[in-house]
Amino acid sequence: MTVQSTNRTVTANPEAALEPPPGTRSGFQGPGLLRSSLLRLAVRRLLTAIPVVWGVTFLGFTVLNLLPGDAAQALLGADATPQEVAKLSRQLHLDQPFFTRYWNWLTGALSGHLGSSLGSGQQVTTILAQRLPVTFELLLFAFVISLLIAIPVATFAARKPGGIFDSITTFIALVGLSIAPYILALLLILLFAVNLSWFPALGWTPISGGLGSNLRSLTLPALSLGFPIGCFYTRLLRADVLEQLEEDYVTTAHAKGLAGWRVLMRHATPNSMFGLITVVALNVGTLLGGTVIVEQIFGLPGIGEELFQAIQTRDFPVVEGIVVVFAVLVVVIGLLADLLYAVLDPRIRYDNPGQ
Amino acid sequence: MTGAGAAAGPGAAAASVAAVGAGTGSPTVLEVRDLSVRFRPRGRDEVRAVSGLSYSVPAGRTVAIIGESGSGKTASSRAIMGLLPRSAQVSGSVALSGTELIGLSPRSLRRYRGQDVAMIFQDPARSLNPTMKVGPQIAEAVRAHQKVSRAAARERAIELFQLVRLSAPAQRYDEYPHQLSGGMRQRVMIAMALSCSPKLLIADEATTALDVTTQARIMRLLTELQEQLGMAILMISHDLGLAACYADEVVVMYAGRTVERAPVRELFRNVRMPYTSALLGAVPRLDRAAHTPLPVVQGRPPDLSADLAGCPFAPRCPRAGEKCAERQPPFAEHKPGHWYACWYPLPDGADRPDTPGGSGSPDGPDREGQQ
Amino acid sequence: MTIPVSNEAAAAAITTAGASRVRASRARSRLQQSLALYLPAGLLVLIIAACFLYPLVGNVSPPVGGSVLNAGLPAGTPGFPLGTDASGNDIFSRLLYGGRVSLEVGAATQVIGIVLGGLIGMIAGYSRGILAAVLMRVLDVLIAFPSLVLALAIAEGLGPGELHVIWALSFYSVPAFARLARAATLRLRDQNFMLAASMSGTPRWRIAAFHLAPNLLPQQLTFALLGAGVAIIQEGALSFLSLGVPPPGASWGNMIASGMQTMSVRPSLVLLPCLALLITVAALNLMGDALRARWSAR
Repeated sequence: MTVQSTNRTVTANPEAALEPPPGTRSGFQGPGLLRSSLLRLAVRRLLTAIPVVWGVTFLGFTVLNLLPGDAAQALLGADATPQEVAKLSRQLHLDQPFFTRYWNWLTGALSGHLGSSLGSGQQVTTILAQRLPVTFELLLFAFVISLLIAIPVATFAARKPGGIFDSITTFIALVGLSIAPYILALLLILLFAVNLSWFPALGWTPISGGLGSNLRSLTLPALSLGFPIGCFYTRLLRADVLEQLEEDYVTTAHAKGLAGWRVLMRHATPNSMFGLITVVALNVGTLLGGTVIVEQIFGLPGIGEELFQAIQTRDFPVVEGIVVVFAVLVVVIGLLADLLYAVLDPRIRYDNPGQ
Repeated sequence: MTGAGAAAGPGAAAASVAAVGAGTGSPTVLEVRDLSVRFRPRGRDEVRAVSGLSYSVPAGRTVAIIGESGSGKTASSRAIMGLLPRSAQVSGSVALSGTELIGLSPRSLRRYRGQDVAMIFQDPARSLNPTMKVGPQIAEAVRAHQKVSRAAARERAIELFQLVRLSAPAQRYDEYPHQLSGGMRQRVMIAMALSCSPKLLIADEATTALDVTTQARIMRLLTELQEQLGMAILMISHDLGLAACYADEVVVMYAGRTVERAPVRELFRNVRMPYTSALLGAVPRLDRAAHTPLPVVQGRPPDLSADLAGCPFAPRCPRAGEKCAERQPPFAEHKPGHWYACWYPLPDGADRPDTPGGSGSPDGPDREGQQ
Repeated sequence: MTIPVSNEAAAAAITTAGASRVRASRARSRLQQSLALYLPAGLLVLIIAACFLYPLVGNVSPPVGGSVLNAGLPAGTPGFPLGTDASGNDIFSRLLYGGRVSLEVGAATQVIGIVLGGLIGMIAGYSRGILAAVLMRVLDVLIAFPSLVLALAIAEGLGPGELHVIWALSFYSVPAFARLARAATLRLRDQNFMLAASMSGTPRWRIAAFHLAPNLLPQQLTFALLGAGVAIIQEGALSFLSLGVPPPGASWGNMIASGMQTMSVRPSLVLLPCLALLITVAALNLMGDALRARWSAR
């Protein structure tokens, strides 16, 4: 493009190279440099995350081991003889010392084998592969719902703070975020599934059964998770937008003669997203926790439900596998949030902040 | 006022183009008459931020509004731009080239904002959207008022960067505010303000946040642009020294009211109102003996929510008499071009604490300040 | 956050008009703030009084041990103001006693959280060198660890019961408070008053105890209110999953669980405890929110 070549000419020109006043970075910030600083950021964060993930797995293993109750016992039931229990324990390597078991697990995990379920014998990785997509889809759906609620409502409410729309939505939001997902789930089932029969109360239809019914089967669960979180995000975003509206650059935007809605959407709201990104990243754990009950209530075959069963049956490998998944998810989303910051806020991108 | 305009004008450059805009027949770009701004927050007494402000700004001229914090100078400028919050009540008349701005609907007012009257603010670091490139912010201003393509707006933005003497203008387009120095950012703000060739530029403490050298450069740029474009400038500041160098006429505000108004040379030569004299006295001077304490006016500005009988400066005025606390002195044109409101004005040329000077000018306004 | 936060109050105070604008809006919102704080606080006091005091003085049927002959009575039946459940227990009294459980769990988890978590977080933020590094890593691990798993595992392992629920949920609240305290400590540690204290020769532990901790407390208390709401919801969840208070003991969670089975015919069995949870948590949230608004306006 013409502009690019002009710029290159400017920096290639030795006189122009002497020209830039102090305080500016010399040289042209092309996309290549951008990518590399983002990459460096990503690598740095990943490196610090690895010991954390390892620590998590260790802690998980420890906790599970400290739990009273024997897996073999749980599997065989109460009326199994001690010999049978001992035999199964040996079979499942449960009689080996703690560190040996952990080491075996760790080395296995690093090479991609997370072991097999004590109960069903299935590969943990297979179980995860089967169940993760369900939970992922649910979480994604819930997340989209929460944003669809938060962004328009917060932006609109911030236009006239204290006005009718603002007061009503603030109150609804405060109450809304107090509703536990499982409570909302039950209320929604009562209303929509039992009385109105718009949505199924139970069960999950995979995408192979049609996108429409797949989404319908996830609507109520996603709403139960997404609405309370959406209310929380709404309040946060509204506060941030109001804060941004007090900033000087918003006055400048008005002084330029821009329409009010444009100032909001093009200037204030985009700059308000940072708080939201932080909170979303921090909230991953909560959202994951919510899936356990929601999946139970709606009978969705996701990892939440699997986790609950696995804990009850002391199925170490499965629980540990899920723990790893959770930890990795939290870390990855945290990393994505950091990267998103860097993409959205140019000041973070450049190591030298200019002034 | 004409003579004052040419002689007290800024820079040697002014003298050579004195013909531009120096005629007596300069059309009035801004006519402010009896402007009052009151804030009525819910459940509280109303605050009279500005009362009865009147002045006019001819094309190609610079009028400085001087006052301390709380004098109402910023509120009055925001009133002109229509940038006051909803709780503000504005009365009086603000005519921009004959068009009455008070009472216009926000939508109509928006058409003038940025196009006929533009404003630059104090802190350029915070006045620019930090996550948006600098160029598009200018282009946005252009496209807000003119139906042009993105490419054309971009061209115009780069053109404006050249106008404000920003180095490497095409490169600057794609840079972010934090990559620019303070002076460059203010140039960007000026470019933004000039994007639609406004008739009036309001500079609200535009150089306060800059270091002295940059301040001089920016002021020089503004005055050069003023000559080039024949634009009127309304300069809002607390710095009388700055006004001495760059303004044609000075309006001094206190407690929301005008207390003195005169062409700049006349003001400094024959200051009348004790408040103005005190302001002059508080300007630090290089030729005073070292460690001389600055003469400071005792007391604080009055509470603007209370009813003020008499002259608002009376409690702090060294020349105050009984009449001052009882009756408000009328703001009148006691001499052609020189208005003031005082019962016991200072005599001709006497009792000035110092010859006025200020940052950037070695002497009084008698000499063209060489920057 | 990287966006410069505009201190509206300070900037507006530059002009008297702006200052009075701030004064005025503070006055108006002072009334609003008082209402926003005292209304939910009052509601909360009402709930606490109802759950803990009313059964002592009022004529309330026992929450357990009902006879099956009384099962399924409708609301308004004398002696059973809200009717009975499938086992013949009085719903009203079960609501009250269930409330006791919820409130106790909420309070206990937060107290443990503030004391333990706040302490750990404060030390993590205030110490330097190896201790700080180690604590930071430990905290990171705790925060990254899915506390849900922990809570479930512990509850599962310890068996049902209110006390076990409290332990299990404390594993959730302690890291949360620790993270909060650490972040706040990091922010406060370089402030002038801290530097002044250390320059006057005060030993570090004293600075922490008498200068740092009091400044952490307001935020922690606000967080505790919100956290209590979360804990109550979690207790409900655990009881729902049969990991909390076991039936026939009353808990809003297990009332919901048992009520779920007959939801289509008798929705009130589910709706009432749901409503109770909702109102209590909402009151806590509203109060916590009002406190935070009040304390950040200073």
